[in-house]
Amino acid sequence: MNHTDQHDTLVLGAPSLHQVSEDISHITERKTPRWWYIAITLSGSMMLVLIGMIGWLFYKGIGIWGNNTPVGWAFDITNFVFWVGIGHAGTLISAVLYLLRQRWRTSINRFAEAMTLFAVICAGIWPTIHTGRPWYDYWLLPYPNQMGMWPQFRSPLNWDVFAVGTYFTVSLLFWYTGLIPDLATLRDRAKGRIRQIVLGIFALGWRGSQKQWKHWELAYLILAGIATPLVLSVHSVVSTDFATSIIPGWHSTIFPPYFVAGAIFSGFAMVLTLIIPARKIFGMEKYITLNHFDKMAKVILLTGMMVSFAYLIEIFIAWYSGNPYERFTFLNRAAGPYTWGFWIMITCNVVVPQTLWFRKLRRSIPYLFVISLLVNVGMWFERFNIIVTSLHRDFLPSSWGMFRPTIFDLGMLAGSFGLFLTLFLIFLRFLPMISISEVKKLAFEEQEHERNAHPRATPEIGRSS
Amino acid sequence: MKDKLKISPSPPLIRGENNEANGNSRELWLPSGAEAAAEVLSRRRFMQLMGGSLALAGLAGCRRPVEKIVPYLATPEEVILGLPNYYATTMPLGMDVYGLVVESHEGRPTKIEGNPLHPSTPRGSNSFMQASVLGLYDPDRSRDILHNGKQEDWAAFVQFWQGLEVKYQANGGEGLAVLSESFSTPTLSRLRETFLRRFPKAQWIAYDPISDENIFEGIRIATGQALRPVYHFDKAKVVLALEADFLGLESNNVRHASDFALGRTVRSSQDEMNRLYVVESCASITGGLADHRLVVLSSQIKQFTSDVVQELQHNWVGVFEPALTESSGSRSSNDFRDSLIKDLLANRTQSLVIAGRRQPPEVHAFVTAMNQALGNVGFGVTYHPIDHALPSNWAALAELAVKMKSQEITMLVMLGGNPVYSAPVDLDFGSALAKVENSVHVSLHQDETSKASKWHLNQAHFLESWGDTQYRDGTLSVIQPMIEPLHRGKSVVEVANLLATGQDQSGYDLVRETWKEFLLPLNYENQWRKVLHDGLLNFSVSEQISLQVNGSAIADFLKVHPFSATAERGESLEAVFLPSAAVWDGRFANNAWQQELPDPLTKITWDNAAAISPNLARDLKVETGDVVVLTLGGRSIETPVWVDPAQADGSVALTLGYGRASAGQVGNGVGGNVYRLRRNTAPDVDQGLTLTRTGKTWKLALSQTQRTQADRPVVRHVSLEKFREDPHCIKEMEETPNLQSLWKEHSYAQGYQWGMAIDLTLCTGCSACMTACRAENNVAVVGKEQVHKGRIMHWLRVDNYFVEENGQIWMAQQPVPCMHCEMAPCEQVCPVAATVHDSEGLNLMTYNRCVGTRYCSNNCPYKVRRFNYYNFTKHYPSLLKMVQNPDVTVRSRGVMEKCSYCLQRINRARFIAKQENRAIRDGEVIPACSQACPTGAIVFGDLNDPSSKVVELKKQAQEYKMLAQYNTRPRTSYLAKLRNP
Repeated sequence: MNHTDQHDTLVLGAPSLHQVSEDISHITERKTPRWWYIAITLSGSMMLVLIGMIGWLFYKGIGIWGNNTPVGWAFDITNFVFWVGIGHAGTLISAVLYLLRQRWRTSINRFAEAMTLFAVICAGIWPTIHTGRPWYDYWLLPYPNQMGMWPQFRSPLNWDVFAVGTYFTVSLLFWYTGLIPDLATLRDRAKGRIRQIVLGIFALGWRGSQKQWKHWELAYLILAGIATPLVLSVHSVVSTDFATSIIPGWHSTIFPPYFVAGAIFSGFAMVLTLIIPARKIFGMEKYITLNHFDKMAKVILLTGMMVSFAYLIEIFIAWYSGNPYERFTFLNRAAGPYTWGFWIMITCNVVVPQTLWFRKLRRSIPYLFVISLLVNVGMWFERFNIIVTSLHRDFLPSSWGMFRPTIFDLGMLAGSFGLFLTLFLIFLRFLPMISISEVKKLAFEEQEHERNAHPRATPEIGRSS
Repeated sequence: MKDKLKISPSPPLIRGENNEANGNSRELWLPSGAEAAAEVLSRRRFMQLMGGSLALAGLAGCRRPVEKIVPYLATPEEVILGLPNYYATTMPLGMDVYGLVVESHEGRPTKIEGNPLHPSTPRGSNSFMQASVLGLYDPDRSRDILHNGKQEDWAAFVQFWQGLEVKYQANGGEGLAVLSESFSTPTLSRLRETFLRRFPKAQWIAYDPISDENIFEGIRIATGQALRPVYHFDKAKVVLALEADFLGLESNNVRHASDFALGRTVRSSQDEMNRLYVVESCASITGGLADHRLVVLSSQIKQFTSDVVQELQHNWVGVFEPALTESSGSRSSNDFRDSLIKDLLANRTQSLVIAGRRQPPEVHAFVTAMNQALGNVGFGVTYHPIDHALPSNWAALAELAVKMKSQEITMLVMLGGNPVYSAPVDLDFGSALAKVENSVHVSLHQDETSKASKWHLNQAHFLESWGDTQYRDGTLSVIQPMIEPLHRGKSVVEVANLLATGQDQSGYDLVRETWKEFLLPLNYENQWRKVLHDGLLNFSVSEQISLQVNGSAIADFLKVHPFSATAERGESLEAVFLPSAAVWDGRFANNAWQQELPDPLTKITWDNAAAISPNLARDLKVETGDVVVLTLGGRSIETPVWVDPAQADGSVALTLGYGRASAGQVGNGVGGNVYRLRRNTAPDVDQGLTLTRTGKTWKLALSQTQRTQADRPVVRHVSLEKFREDPHCIKEMEETPNLQSLWKEHSYAQGYQWGMAIDLTLCTGCSACMTACRAENNVAVVGKEQVHKGRIMHWLRVDNYFVEENGQIWMAQQPVPCMHCEMAPCEQVCPVAATVHDSEGLNLMTYNRCVGTRYCSNNCPYKVRRFNYYNFTKHYPSLLKMVQNPDVTVRSRGVMEKCSYCLQRINRARFIAKQENRAIRDGEVIPACSQACPTGAIVFGDLNDPSSKVVELKKQAQEYKMLAQYNTRPRTSYLAKLRNP
């Protein structure tokens, strides 16, 4: 890859290594800015709406949602799949791109990983609370018990428990492992005693010795290796909730790859949604450059087309199969009572990303921000289409019905964004949002490269972190 | 049947106290920890107990109160705890009578079936019978005797009457009137005679908002006699129904459906089917089943009848002598009528013409003459005298109202009924009643009439009182109580006796007194016991009256009541007043099971709507759920419309029985009160109705919103002719590849393997099965809002699809219980194995294990699973808890439930079979739906028994399984709907 081209430079302004530490650590060390309080008040209030509504849900029952008999799942599982999907970009950026030596991931991987964790937390809420008797959710776990009962392993819901559980665990470990050198950096810079102790505990005694770096690199590589299949497995497993069922519109072998592509699509869009304001607010233009956005936009374009292809194939197969129920389901999606949902999905996921063929648009921050929001709207509606429009009119016309969201459906969806943003704001405030050690390495490499190309230039290389 | 149920002669009565019945007859006793400790204590035991009490001490707040349980100290004979007893009784509904077998658990009636020995219910039951047991436990039933709103007791009323009767005896009863519901009961009849003998100037009339008055009047015109017709549909190969919903809302519908089904059962290609012609203005379940249905205005039916009479005369000169109508000369050709005439003439003595109660007397006179001319009397229809009965009399009610207003009536006793609500609006019965000095109302609820009366006496439910009935063919039965009156109510018989004799006697004595006439004095007690046991007096059928149709009398009547040559239709419309299939005339308005029973035609719950045709809807620019103003005779009400493709264009069908103001917590304000448009001049079919769009909409809670099959082979149907040509055509309607199982299949080589077959040819859609299922399985009522959200809980639903064929619309009715798939999609997706298969092929729900993911429901292609979105059963009043079947778990919030094939009944049969060391016999396990079905459309049994009835049905060529191509292998299969056009 040609890094000499100015446009491809991933760290701008050739900062010194100390400057890198300073720029990134400073955010967590300075006085909390006022906007942060305002932001967390807003997102926290939304989160409280979620918590309050969950309390009411536990007290009253699932009836407070709009779910009914043909439509047993609606916003609950739509939100679950949506948030799990969001979580995908994190692991992809951290693990897959790491293994593929895509160096541009460095500036955004921490960010994306944190997003993954928080998205998986938001996702995990839904299957937990959507049950009629959530206090018995633990029956889905295989544990020895006096009833002599195990979960029913043929059920994809059980596979979900393992898939999402594993994914969350590995993502957390991966994220935390990556954080260790940076936590040590923060610890070394820490002024207050409490801060030193807390960071000291979490830095696990990191001293930056050669041996530790060696072990760390190896551990990081291994975790990346473990995490990589998870990128494919989690959403594949989630898709089997639908694919293994009998319902037209669900029963489809294309679902696993289609869901994975969709997940990456929405995950990258969410990374953009979050990183664009963060970069601006924290002045991270140096580290998160237009080149990064350009590459992310390309991923969105690619996965968007994969998703579009999947839509096309689904419709084609529905027609080609000759199955009247299948055909009807797709006609009903496009022209039935939820037609608006279908066309929002097509517009946002198929049409809008096509504009990213233009380099200019790929490098336009405001445009990307808008597109990232649209893609997420589109992907939410994709899940809504799959779940609600397939269920509401299935085989027997007599049991056809309509789902109408209640205030609780809407409030809890909004509340899950509140939870997500709250967690994210806390992360931004207290942890380095960009991997210090990796950016240093990148900056060093880029500057080294520059020096080799122009020997007279005198790079300023910091001596210590 | 009788043997299986072991019907006992009469129940040991359990005294009700306060609002809680039988609570004090047995106490609960639980050993407390302290008493256990009084045993000899080992050290270890001591430590255990101490440990336990220490732990409990910390949980003191969670401890339940110590309740004492004591078994029956003196168990009533026959009662075995845990096993129900069955008793026979009868249910009166106006002049209609239905034989019942009541299931009673430890003195608590919980479930009602038809009494197969009784001629009214040779098979099955209807929804009103099923739901009446809930009416017994209705928490809103009146518990008091009220005088001007103040609580009084029975003695006070007795004293009050005894004070007055002297006066009335002196003046011969002038100013004294009794208004009862129509009845067919020997004891009440006897008391009425006594009353009228004692007070010769008094009057006792009957009024029912829904009555067969026109039928009796028509027969009287034709024959000069007061006769009741009994129809024998099993003997008719061709049936012409003139707006007669004899399978649904006409009298005696259980017997009709049962007999009619006998003529429609096809079990081999040689089997014949009867042919049903229906002429009607609005949809009915009979019309939905018709082989030929002609849609005309209700007011045009007399013209149609007259045309048929003319055609018969034309084709068969001298059939009516003298001719009933003048030949009009020009005869228009009409496919429907031509093929009808051909069929009627080809099937003399094997046909039946029947007209509905809404049709005027002259139509019934014609019908009587036609049946006589076609030789059907004595075969398809027999006539029996009206004894021991008092039919409703609208004209007398109108006269009474006039006398009440002029204060000629000084005392009015209303035995049941609710005339303030249900009397024709132009009688203004409410203000007439206010002018009566002493008004007494006996009723189950403190209803509209009770509130307008000076005295209110709380009535005993028929399940808690003595009485008797006479079925239309003369069969005599006793009504015996299943339980002591819960609220110390008095039966109508007891009140009537007080009026007639001035004495306070028990219903038991009164009925036995009457029955001295019917039973041999020497053998009285034995016969009495047998009557109680069987539910009827054998061989009490009255003689059939042979008819002398007097053609000139009909002709004379027609001169006074001429047919208007054309339909009286201008800009305005005709209003047709129908009883509700859910609440009847309003009396079941506080019965939640009935309110939530989807109307068999419209599938509307908790509401009524004006049914209009699609053309009329287009003209008015309204659709289902839009509110219109109905104006008739200067009175207006607002009501939502229901656009019904089976409705005649100029006709609007209005359902009575809704919009109650004082029904109780359940029924108050549900739907709109159509009685406010019903006039005394034309109570059945009125002219001059106008509809105005309001622009408002009303939320109608429909249990089924999609009414076409969307070209799917759900209810497969074919004409009998085509079926005979190609018996395989049913199975070929859907391609079924040879599919394999992913898993090792259970062999079912031994033991039982349950299955069900439903014959769609026989299903009328009456929905008795739905209520039976609800009663048997403690299915929760969820209310209008939840039904609208799609959360109705019925385990068994009856789907109703409109089918349009050759320009005729008919209805494909399909009961859908759980299919009990062998490869159940629900079982594979349950993450906690809460829904599993058992070794007898049943798909079971383990409520305790259910977490409530609803995945099973999503994956059920038949959508028969029902989820408890809220804790629907938590706040049941204690009285309502008594109607629950103790053999079925009451479900709590958050769990899935569904049809179990009445597992508790399978287990009871298994228990009995095991005790007798034999296998369960075919027909021994009858699920509630199957037992309730009057046509025998639902058959259940062991698929491993090659001689079982269900296996025989499943071998039929018209058998098919819904969605067979999805390899679910349902155990419930269907027999395609055969039609005989």
